[in-house]
Amino acid sequence: MGAFRKALNLLLSLRTAIWLLLALLCVLFYGAFVMPVNEEFKSLQVVPLFQWLKESPLSVSWWIWTAIGILSVLTANTLFCSIESVTKKRGAKNLLLALSPQVIHIGFLFVLLAHLLSSLGSFRGTAYVAEGTLLTLPDGSAVAFEAINTQNDPSGLVLGWSADIRYRTEGARIERDSIRPNSPSFHNGFGIYIKTVEFRPFPVALIEVSRDPGAAWALIGGILFIAGMTTLLALKVRKEN
Amino acid sequence: MTIVAILPAVLYLFGNRRMPIIYAGFVIQAGYLLFRGVQLGRLPVVGPHDTLYFLSAATVLFALPMTLRMKDRFNNLYPMLGLSSVFAIISFFFSPHDSPLPPVLKTFWFEAHVTLSFFSYALFGIAAVFGITFLLNRDAAGPGVSDDNPEVLQYKAVLVGYCFFSAAMIFGGIWAYLAWGTYWLWTPKELWTVILWLFYSLYLHARLRQWWSGKPSAILGILGFVIVLFTYLGVSLLMKSSHTF
Repeated sequence: MGAFRKALNLLLSLRTAIWLLLALLCVLFYGAFVMPVNEEFKSLQVVPLFQWLKESPLSVSWWIWTAIGILSVLTANTLFCSIESVTKKRGAKNLLLALSPQVIHIGFLFVLLAHLLSSLGSFRGTAYVAEGTLLTLPDGSAVAFEAINTQNDPSGLVLGWSADIRYRTEGARIERDSIRPNSPSFHNGFGIYIKTVEFRPFPVALIEVSRDPGAAWALIGGILFIAGMTTLLALKVRKEN
Repeated sequence: MTIVAILPAVLYLFGNRRMPIIYAGFVIQAGYLLFRGVQLGRLPVVGPHDTLYFLSAATVLFALPMTLRMKDRFNNLYPMLGLSSVFAIISFFFSPHDSPLPPVLKTFWFEAHVTLSFFSYALFGIAAVFGITFLLNRDAAGPGVSDDNPEVLQYKAVLVGYCFFSAAMIFGGIWAYLAWGTYWLWTPKELWTVILWLFYSLYLHARLRQWWSGKPSAILGILGFVIVLFTYLGVSLLMKSSHTF
């Protein structure tokens, strides 16, 4: 019982959060200097984190494992502290001011959840496609690239590019769309992105197909985080005035 | 145009601490940014020249209201104007980015991401100056909660800067998802950005504890700006990433 109480007190402590943040910073500082000079980290861009971790030697990946470990304890610490704070401040005079830091914490936890999901199940693949190419997506449906277009200024400078696409399932044309930079097309959880185009010897587009299962959770987390921060700031300013 | 753009730095540094001269300097800075914006047909926030100049102007933009209620205003404002002048002068060592933007940068999310980032960098710079003036004049600082205490103002600058920086990261994530299919890339810039965000999270949490408030948190606020400078200039100039200049 004593050990359980001690562990609980440790997880409920702000001091624990501070030391965990310090430890996490130290690990990430190390990683930030090691990552740019080590070739093995380049493949991290194309495979999910946990797959990369499984395939990489511990001598290279140990700092990411350590960061994940610290983040796990920090998650528990954030959860316990938030629950305790909400329980304690239920009857507070200014409930919104008392709750907004916890909304920030929940936003942070959603972002962590997003990273966990992305690290487990993200997918990225790139290919050059010409007009008329039929690309099969990982879910079995196919996308046909019907036209590759550019937008030029009067001097001929390329200002932008796009591609007209059509999704097909078992040979039937089902949906038409157009993709441009910053304007991908989404189909069954996959995003189709156009990166660049080349016109010699014939028009081809560099296409990326990606799936990021954490994206929606990251967006929810981000919205909660900003909502909490803005509320906290506004209430602090009002309180001061 | 270079002379007009560099004039504010001269006014800030040699304006004999007169407020009308400082305001005139800021108006000229804002005018130069407006001129660049009209010339380019977009926000002038691409490349080291424009971003450093934007950072310089943003520093003055926030420094003026943040020091407004201080009795000893100039002891805090003057180093901030110095910081702004340094950024303005360094910006002219880099040539302006006048060529058309690649299509991937022509989006609201990019402009919002960069603008908010530089607002937060400016506030973190101001916080560092407050930290230094607090450490130099600790005995003369006002009571703990007053608006005359640089340490309290440092906390306020960090809090608002942190809010801007968090929003900048979220907007950057949305942009990255729409441009590259993922809200997170494993590049040095992203990692340093997270380090910076965690560092200021540490500052805000640490300051809640009595042991850390005062001198230790003032030092943290100063160290934070060192990380800001490395994240902004060091990583962008020295390391290959999605944010390379």
